[in-house]
Amino acid sequence: MTDKARFERLTLPHMDAAYNLASHLLQTRADAEDAVQDAFVRAYRAFHQFEGADIRPWLLTIVRNVCFRRLQERRRADNVVSLDEVSSRSTGAAFEADMASADRSPEQTAIASSDQALLAHAMAELPPVFREVIVLREIEDLSYREIAGVIGTPVGTVMSRLARARTELKAILNRMTNQDDRNAM
Amino acid sequence: MQCDRAHELLGAYRDGELAPEERRAVAGHIGTCRTCSTAVADDERIGRLVKKFGRIAPPPALEPRLRAALDRAEETSLPGKPVETPHLGMDAPKARALAKRVAALAAACLVAVMATWWVMDTTRHAEQIEHDILSAHIRSLLQDSPTQVASSDQHVVRPWFAGRADFAPAVKDLTAEGFALLGGRLDYVADRRVAVVVYKRRLHLINVFMWPSSVAATESLAPATSRNGYNLLIWSRNGVSYCAISDLNAAEMRELQHLL
Ligand SMILES: [Zn+2]
Repeated sequence: MTDKARFERLTLPHMDAAYNLASHLLQTRADAEDAVQDAFVRAYRAFHQFEGADIRPWLLTIVRNVCFRRLQERRRADNVVSLDEVSSRSTGAAFEADMASADRSPEQTAIASSDQALLAHAMAELPPVFREVIVLREIEDLSYREIAGVIGTPVGTVMSRLARARTELKAILNRMTNQDDRNAM
Repeated sequence: MQCDRAHELLGAYRDGELAPEERRAVAGHIGTCRTCSTAVADDERIGRLVKKFGRIAPPPALEPRLRAALDRAEETSLPGKPVETPHLGMDAPKARALAKRVAALAAACLVAVMATWWVMDTTRHAEQIEHDILSAHIRSLLQDSPTQVASSDQHVVRPWFAGRADFAPAVKDLTAEGFALLGGRLDYVADRRVAVVVYKRRLHLINVFMWPSSVAATESLAPATSRNGYNLLIWSRNGVSYCAISDLNAAEMRELQHLL
């Protein structure tokens, strides 16, 4: 088997996880797709350096770093707008509309829409550093140790950041559902 | 357990990241504290919501797009040429070129020992370790003897390290398994004294470097292998990092790893 075939066999099963992380961090489909492609090519070029048992955290590290570089570039381009604002308020709604057009049947869309939209909005309000730990832990089921490797912090930081991220997400969701209740009345 | 402390640990408790005794203490507290049991229930609910609705699926076109991008990347990059098996008689420039290649390979696996193998940027420290191990290995091949204490008896080699190394390195007589014990020596890697136990398999000399490590892992970490040249195997067990280096094939190196 060639290196490339081996690389594809190992990494393509994690394309979903890679795209999921990139989407949450960058908040637009086009950017997420570009970032995943960029990350896969970088990973392929660095493949000889990978000797671990589990390629998923290694690949997600590269995806994560590519995404944060892009967020930084955006911030530089916007010059005065902060990173958190760029990735949340200004793009959150656009992102939701963007994602809603993804391939889903009308029934699925109807059932999922309210909770899903709520969550998408709430996640978009979180700063990227909170978003990534939520995604890696709750969706991708990475251990604290693996998350620490991906985001480049000590394990203790993962624990405290995750705690703050959850508290924040809970507060945002509570605020949103209360608003919905008031609107319904 | 105090409520404040328990509250801090609730997330780690739910994630199964607590040590058994902490886990029991938090569980006991949750059983008696309404605030904490509510917080856990809330987290659980939000966790389920994120798990159920949080995943954003890629468009079907992404996979073909990635494959095409990788095809292009393959065309524009030259695959690494295999490393030639080193011979003692090789000339200096060739040895240096080889050393560079092996060093590059070693970089990846040494970062592994430092438990940050997925970090792409090799640290200065890792570079120094990798450089030193390679130099030490080549030096041992060029010297009259690769050992300071030459003995096939583990009961001679093991006590020799006592008082010389700051830990007790593994020394095993594996003659029956086909790895003859040649002896031991001290070497310097990244400015620290490390223990080296030397084995021989047929004509291949194997240096096993050992030093105390901060890696808590008891299982083996990331085995690393070069192509056709020196093979390196790196692992960590019970607070000791091991690096075996030789021109022996990877499968037999791994055999040695399991025996040690
Ligand atoms: Zn409590």
